[in-house]
Amino acid sequence: MYEPTLRYEKIDFLGEGQFATVYKAKDVKSDKIVAVKKIKIGSRLEAQDGINRTALREIKLLQELQHINLIGLLDVFGQKSNVSLVFDFMDTDLEIIVKDSNIVLTPANVKAYTIMTLKGLEYLHQNWILHRDLKPNNLLINREGILKIGDFGLAKAFGSPTRINTHQVVTRWYRSPELLFGARQYGTGVDMWAVGCILAELLLRVPFLPGESDLDQLSRIFQVFGTPNEETWPGMKNLTDYVQFKQFPAQQLRHIFSAAADDLLQLLDRLLALYPPARCDCTQALQMPYFSNKPAPTVGAKLPMPTNIFKMESEKPSLKRKLLDNIDGGSLAKRLQF
Amino acid sequence: MAGNFWQSSHHQQWILDKQDLVRDRQHDLNILTEEEYQKIFNFFASIIQVLGEQLKLRQQVIATATVYFKRFYARNSLKCIDPLLLSPTCVFLASKVEEFGVISNSRLITTCQTVIKNKFSYAYGQQEFPYRTNHILECEFYLLENLDCCLIVYQPYRPLLLFVQDIGPDEQLLTYAWRIVNDSLRTDVSLLFPPYQIAIGAMHIACVMLGKENLKPWLAELNVDMDKIQEIVRSIINLYEMWKSYDEKKEIQGLLGKMPKPKPAPQR
Repeated sequence: MYEPTLRYEKIDFLGEGQFATVYKAKDVKSDKIVAVKKIKIGSRLEAQDGINRTALREIKLLQELQHINLIGLLDVFGQKSNVSLVFDFMDTDLEIIVKDSNIVLTPANVKAYTIMTLKGLEYLHQNWILHRDLKPNNLLINREGILKIGDFGLAKAFGSPTRINTHQVVTRWYRSPELLFGARQYGTGVDMWAVGCILAELLLRVPFLPGESDLDQLSRIFQVFGTPNEETWPGMKNLTDYVQFKQFPAQQLRHIFSAAADDLLQLLDRLLALYPPARCDCTQALQMPYFSNKPAPTVGAKLPMPTNIFKMESEKPSLKRKLLDNIDGGSLAKRLQF
Repeated sequence: MAGNFWQSSHHQQWILDKQDLVRDRQHDLNILTEEEYQKIFNFFASIIQVLGEQLKLRQQVIATATVYFKRFYARNSLKCIDPLLLSPTCVFLASKVEEFGVISNSRLITTCQTVIKNKFSYAYGQQEFPYRTNHILECEFYLLENLDCCLIVYQPYRPLLLFVQDIGPDEQLLTYAWRIVNDSLRTDVSLLFPPYQIAIGAMHIACVMLGKENLKPWLAELNVDMDKIQEIVRSIINLYEMWKSYDEKKEIQGLLGKMPKPKPAPQR
């Protein structure tokens, strides 16, 4: 057995969260830059539980999945009782890009990000895995402009009709209405809704539905899409946490996204359908006219990057905080040291 | 995960070659005969099965634990880690991977102590289960490493259900074949063949036992390598033959005594 700590030469400290510490490192064997996520041993009680479950989930799924638009797990090693996961190093993420006011996002750029997200997600869904925590800062981007879906700490196999799932998944702003109503049986629709919210955010450059509580989240959703009724959403009233909402009329998406073309509005409309079975899946989405119409998506190398990316790597380790995310999927405030 | 078996780590890395397996076991087979080796694995498969049942785990989890156990020793000698420690470790890791309920480590240790005392005293006499939580945790990591982090194991149960349904629902056939699949965990077939072939092998044996004729026309329509199925059938039949003349209660102490062991005896 080789000595793994010698294989990865620490270059930089990227960040520290409650569950992991992340380093930028050089793989001496391949000369590749990687991100090493060292899972911390928590409290003594947690340590009793052995290898961290979130880490185990990431290991078990990523070991089976290979796709250009999914983060690659390159290696796993341990020292004493610490587990470390070695990932592709990613320079930035979609949240940083959306928030960077120096970056102009053209319609072609938006299309490129959306295609890469949907392709990665399509592959996941084809393998019967739900990501359950899609949000801009889990969509990682490298300097070649390739987007990869990251953080599989919440991902889970789906498809068993009898299996009860928790509804406390997905960061609130990207959470679908059925999850907010406490649905325990859900499908790919929860990820599709999140993609819709992310696409909307790419257009608006601010979060589309920044709810302050779960109820406020639903209220914001219904203010845009209209309050559903038993006719537009059969069975809604039987969901565990269903509450009656004030009747809001639906707004026109073209008024909210005034710069978006019709084919894009059509896609948004299908991604953000309130009634889960009416939502499109990835394959259907990718076949919609938006993706074959002009403009063509920007090629990877021409996609914008934060200008200060090299500086940021050393000054702002928080940009890698998605690597630190834990079971709570970021709903907890993260402790980050700089 | 019910993903694609053909692209899985199980198919790509963990369907082993018979010759390689024999070669890697050479060290242990210098000390034990092939039959003795198999008897020892049969014994620890029982421990894993009973532990799993006591902990109320589903058969799928128990099967995964057993395959972890076999995969570990496919690469390592028995002297590497005491199988009495590796068995509960496999159960522990498999239950976490399959995400079915949480077994606390203390409950696992307590269950091991009870099971060894009440059900396997014929093997261990008055000796108590010697390991504690810290041993399991250390061993868990070693196991993960030796599995090359390949944690998802495909089992024959799901294809079995599909095939039996396809032939025409037959409760009796399913029950028999299901048990044969359970028994197959005590042979090497889970290391050598994909699970769908094991399912067909088990159905084949079940049909012969039940005197059913309807498998042949169904098999004829499948494009399946019958030589492989025959090899699986032979391995399982050999196991049944071995059981006929084997009294575990009498022999196992001797076998455990002969088994290669880790150098420093674990004690704390």
